[in-house]
Amino acid sequence: MPEWLAAFLLANLLVALRWVMRGPTQADRMLAALLFGTTGVAILLLLHEAMASPALLDAALVFALLAAIAGAAFAQRAWRDETPAASEADHDRD
Amino acid sequence: MLALIGRAALFAGLWWALAEGAARDWGVGLVSVVLAVATSAWLWPPTTTRLSPSGLLRFLVFFLWQSVRGGVLVARLALHPRLRLRPEVRRFRLRLPPGAGRVLLADTLSLLPGTVSAGFGEDDLRLHVLDRDLVVEADLRAAEAVVAGLLGLELERPEVTGA
Amino acid sequence: MTGIDAIGAALLWIGAGFFLAGTIGLLRFPDVYARLHALAKVDNLGLGFIALGLALRADSLASALKLLLVWLLALFASATISYLIARRALARGIEPVAEMGADGDQR
Repeated sequence: MPEWLAAFLLANLLVALRWVMRGPTQADRMLAALLFGTTGVAILLLLHEAMASPALLDAALVFALLAAIAGAAFAQRAWRDETPAASEADHDRD
Repeated sequence: MLALIGRAALFAGLWWALAEGAARDWGVGLVSVVLAVATSAWLWPPTTTRLSPSGLLRFLVFFLWQSVRGGVLVARLALHPRLRLRPEVRRFRLRLPPGAGRVLLADTLSLLPGTVSAGFGEDDLRLHVLDRDLVVEADLRAAEAVVAGLLGLELERPEVTGA
Repeated sequence: MTGIDAIGAALLWIGAGFFLAGTIGLLRFPDVYARLHALAKVDNLGLGFIALGLALRADSLASALKLLLVWLLALFASATISYLIARRALARGIEPVAEMGADGDQR
């Protein structure tokens, strides 16, 4: 059963990723970082159970750990360079 | 010293979970625990803030219950056949002192029903509220009180404005 | 299948249900801020149910704790990332939608 749930979540992730990648604003595209941190981790956990593979639990742990750091770096860097005109508004407005 | 022993116990427990109880890994574990205690003593000296055990319990109960509420509430909104939202950006005046408490509050509020933290001001926190009727000030203040209890922080009196 | 296994299995299904609701919210909500709510809350609760369901089926207490630790880290990651996204979106001047009625609703 866990492998079916993992497949279901993978389908969920693909639909969601496809949607946010089209997303009207840059901020929408950043939502992909959140998707990997939750749905991606859930898939790894379910596969760990389904395949009785302890290594996948470690993978999920590292994934969750890196999601915070990678997500933050991604949000800061990837978002900075694209629209130079808007980058002055980067600092909080007040 | 007592605080450091407490931390060592915490890190040892963490290692035990990470190694999934495997006894043969304790050599590496011991080194890791010592390094972790040293690093934590350096980054977060034991005198500055103390976690209160009863505060931790209260925080966990509050947090778990509120995140279930938050998830269910937003899921219901998402699944409602006639989707109707009235979002707004609100400023929440902070009564916690600057530092770890504010960060923890911002993170907590992002996971609680109807609010996502969206930046600190001078002495306030901007919140995106999913539906303005859903989120009342009392819930936010309750979260603030629980965070203060966890870290043993004093809340500034609400009447006091400016220096 | 023992009773605890059955409860664990039920929690896994509930978790998957929350992920589905989160994805539906992502597709239906009007702007990036509202979509953050769908991902930061609903998906995290889904992950919590899945971690808890698997923890009930785990062979040892230590493994169960490790599963919950994964959830804790994921929560921290979500809170941090959603804060950064929301703050930057506001700083960039992306206006939050103020009102959204149902499709064809006059509001």
